[in-house]
Amino acid sequence: MDILSFLVRLFQGGMGNLAAYLAAHVLLCLVPAFYIAGAMTALIPKASVTRFLGRNAPKFISYPAAALAGSVLAVCSCTIVPLFAGIYKKGAGLGPAITFLFFAPAANILALVYTGGVIGVDLAFARLFLSLAFGIGIGLIMALIFRRSDIAHDKSTDAMFSGKGGMRRGALIFLLLLVALLLAGTFKVSLLTNTYAEFTLPISGMDRFQDFLYRLVPYDASKGEEGVTAQGAILIGMLVLIGLASFKGLENIFEGFNLWTWMAMGLVGLTLMIAALGMTPHAGGLDIRFTGRFFGVLLAIALLVWLMFKRLTEDELRDWLWESWRFVKQIFPLLVVGVFAVGVIRVLIKPEWIQALAGHNTILGNLAGVIFGVFMYFPTLVEVPIAKMFLSLGMHRGPLLAYLMADPELSLQSILIVSAIIGRLKAWTYVFWVALFSTLAGLIYGSWVDGTGLGMIVLYLTLFLAALALVLYWVDKRTRVKGTIPQKAATD
Amino acid sequence: MLVIKILGTGCPNCKKVEALARQAVTNLGVEAEFIKVTDYSEIMQYPILSTPGLVINEKLVCAGRIPSQAEITTWLANALMEVT
Repeated sequence: MDILSFLVRLFQGGMGNLAAYLAAHVLLCLVPAFYIAGAMTALIPKASVTRFLGRNAPKFISYPAAALAGSVLAVCSCTIVPLFAGIYKKGAGLGPAITFLFFAPAANILALVYTGGVIGVDLAFARLFLSLAFGIGIGLIMALIFRRSDIAHDKSTDAMFSGKGGMRRGALIFLLLLVALLLAGTFKVSLLTNTYAEFTLPISGMDRFQDFLYRLVPYDASKGEEGVTAQGAILIGMLVLIGLASFKGLENIFEGFNLWTWMAMGLVGLTLMIAALGMTPHAGGLDIRFTGRFFGVLLAIALLVWLMFKRLTEDELRDWLWESWRFVKQIFPLLVVGVFAVGVIRVLIKPEWIQALAGHNTILGNLAGVIFGVFMYFPTLVEVPIAKMFLSLGMHRGPLLAYLMADPELSLQSILIVSAIIGRLKAWTYVFWVALFSTLAGLIYGSWVDGTGLGMIVLYLTLFLAALALVLYWVDKRTRVKGTIPQKAATD
Repeated sequence: MLVIKILGTGCPNCKKVEALARQAVTNLGVEAEFIKVTDYSEIMQYPILSTPGLVINEKLVCAGRIPSQAEITTWLANALMEVT
């Protein structure tokens, strides 16, 4: 009997966590994010970024361009690995390739939006800026350490990177509108959170339904847990319907649009609008509140629909829908399983363990975060709910960032693929630098959270980067003076 | 006889390209041999920046996106013209 109640508790933990992740505020950020990622893949011509990654591009262009390519073009491994190999072997070389590899998993649109929605906007920004600084830093260091072997690379054509491509204006506006939809759904400003109109739906029994849900999935608000609201239950139902319609309408979209396709899209729009409403069930019925958020989402969706029919070609529309659906299919099931598992595990971990290990912003705590990140492999985006769990168990935000930086960059799987392309020595050197820099990122961010002034941190960071740049410059000069002989040896 | 290679490690897009190419081949009523290239070092022999890639008679015709069936049919017809 004891074991049974224990199992029930585990199950409730998993369900509770899952419910919290499917709640309105997460839906409003995650669903648009999937569509943005799809639009980026389908509507931005790759050539518009890759043309800055050719062999002859100067460093101050190729490194930022590599980071941009990482955040815009590479949401899935289909693009990451070939683009990495291409930049390394035929394009700008090892440095930008490493920058790209570092930046892509940590700062792509899905990862950033999800981090911002679940944990907090501050951490999402820290992830973005520190990834940018350190991605370029590690790229420069790697390029310097392996300077000689990099020169030996085939000096073949630049043709792969010479493509010209701009984005059509209609497609660009479409993409920006999707971003606007995301912001309307997630921004916490009073213009959006205020209620402008309100009415009561006379459905009896909603309060009993709500009580039933709370009993089914009990929660503890003091631990930062969220229960299933009636609105949440409706949204989960809608999600299942969307899944069904998408499966029928988007899976075979290359044979043409059918009724299911339109139904899936209509349902997505409807779900977003319901998620943006405020709902309070009570004995007399269901209070519906029209918030500014609702009107923002409504406006964005209306404009998107208009653009879809007026400005996008059928091919663009089809590619966009297919890519978005592909991301959902690839990431969402694993995310659901992962989130459930995190909820189960959370019941088992004692907060004291986490607090003792990484409750404060120490070097040891940050290292623990990084090491956990390196040796654990989680599917895309699952690192975020895991981080949330650690946070609620008392982990300091510094070590938390260290973990978030290290986990997606380094997994055994990616190390193996990378070492197949650039060799084992380079791959492990890369791992070492990422581990070091992630620890550093955690320390810096942690001390900011602890109250060190922004000025001091910028000063530290600038000093560190300046020292790094000086060393790089010095070594660069030395190798250039002495470099003629080893260069020859390398090209032979 | 055409040799068609699908470059890609088995992500859904690669399968889609293969299915579309097979359909185009059937519609044209030509003979073709399909080869799936999944090894990265082999894929990188072609000037390609992202998978899926489609190669007809050793010529890369498309990479990084899913072409439409009409496009594939045109490429197949061109390749046939070059052979004969």
